[in-house]
Amino acid sequence: MGNGSWKISRSRGRAHLPLTVVAVLAIFLVLLGKAQSSLFDRARTGVIDWMQPALEASRTPMETMGRWMGSIGNIFWVYQENLKLKEENARLKQWHNTAQVLTERLKRYQLLLNAVPDPALSSVVARVIGRANHPFLQTMILDAGKSHGAKPGQAVVDQRGMIGRVYLTGEHTSWVILLTDLNSRIPVSIEPNTDQAIMSGDNSPMPLIETLARGVELKPDSQVVTSGDGDILPAGIPIGVIVKDGSHYRVALFADQTTAQDVEIVDFKQKPEHPPSVGQQELPVTAAGLAPAAPQPQAATSQVMPVPPPVYKPPLPPGQKPAVVPQQGPANAPVNNAEPGDQ
Amino acid sequence: MERLGGFGSNRVASNVIPVLFGLFGVVITNVPISAFGSWIPAPMYALMPVYYWCLVRPDLMTPGWAFLIGFIHDIVSGEPPGLWAASFVATYAIIDKQRDAFAGLSGFGAILGFATATLVACSAHYVIFSLYHWHLMPVTGSIKEFAVTSILYIPVVVVLAYMHRRFVGPLRSEF
Repeated sequence: MGNGSWKISRSRGRAHLPLTVVAVLAIFLVLLGKAQSSLFDRARTGVIDWMQPALEASRTPMETMGRWMGSIGNIFWVYQENLKLKEENARLKQWHNTAQVLTERLKRYQLLLNAVPDPALSSVVARVIGRANHPFLQTMILDAGKSHGAKPGQAVVDQRGMIGRVYLTGEHTSWVILLTDLNSRIPVSIEPNTDQAIMSGDNSPMPLIETLARGVELKPDSQVVTSGDGDILPAGIPIGVIVKDGSHYRVALFADQTTAQDVEIVDFKQKPEHPPSVGQQELPVTAAGLAPAAPQPQAATSQVMPVPPPVYKPPLPPGQKPAVVPQQGPANAPVNNAEPGDQ
Repeated sequence: MERLGGFGSNRVASNVIPVLFGLFGVVITNVPISAFGSWIPAPMYALMPVYYWCLVRPDLMTPGWAFLIGFIHDIVSGEPPGLWAASFVATYAIIDKQRDAFAGLSGFGAILGFATATLVACSAHYVIFSLYHWHLMPVTGSIKEFAVTSILYIPVVVVLAYMHRRFVGPLRSEF
């Protein structure tokens, strides 16, 4: 070593005995983990709770570097990106107005029907402090745990859709199994026919649709939401859209788990809220300043004819007038068989 | 004497550097930011210091430390316990048996040497995982992990070599 260079050690033989011992220990550990998979959960959460500051500390410079690296490429696309965002913003404003109108209308209908509203969902906002992207495992670590109300089984969503669900919670951290993970199984409902299926991850970017009823044909771009079956997850959380993959169907996820940094842990286990009792002032008639209708006698209400079920009528060929069908309603009800063009 | 540890009397601190790098590799592997997106798995940074110091300072990177780094990797990544620990130990056994061959490599050959060790680690992990779940896993992810880990060893080994020269140093018996 006099020349200042360092040498490779060639000493052998000393490590052989510990190597054998450690190899036996490793095999024993694998078998023990297989037999008692939950045995190490507490150790796992304890280690992650202990390592939380290190994970958060290492997250910040990596995030800064990632943004910096990403911004280099984005410089060349700023103008096009700006135009695209403006257009998207205008479209979203329209949808926002439509959503507000529909939400109000839905509330009114629920009030009129005395419908039980959806259960109130509380949520905890958490940051992603760890992400395991390995060949056979895709998980996240969040900086919210039991102390923040996180529990196993809760859904994890970002602003676009569902990412995964919590499967292990420590005091200050939670583990999330992603939808793309090999062990992920989620009951889903596929719009518009609410076809029930199981969505399972296979470590590819698009999870697989399984356990679909025989003969069901899905259309590409059909929306996939959580079905809420099994009381595991709340129903209606958007997940993605259907993509045909040969003879299988896959789901293109809305959420991008590789870029999600701030997520919500949705608490579903709250009791559903009971609808408020409808007062006289809340009825539309009284709200309009009219007197409420007098209660009808029992005999009159029992004679109300049931509404016949709707019958599908095929469209008429052009130029042909519909046949006049005698109405089965009250005799004094006006019957208008004339078409607008006849008057 | 300085080469036995840059910290002089505080030699213990310099001796734990290999293990600290291994643990740091575990953390880096599991940070939430991915430069490669979801298509490519995270590189096995923790394997790099294990391989490097297993060759140059096996007294500091013992099988026990390799096992511990692998076990902590299992714990942090959320995998079933023991899978990466067993893979690291299997890789360590191969390196230990063929140390002369690996240690004689330089330049591009050294990268190929690490690629061989990575191939052993990924293959061992694939086999153990498939046996663990009793299900044949797709090999695509393992191949990607092997490739990205082998390529990223090139810049990382520069850092490891600098740290070794500056703070760790060779074995006393080599003087």
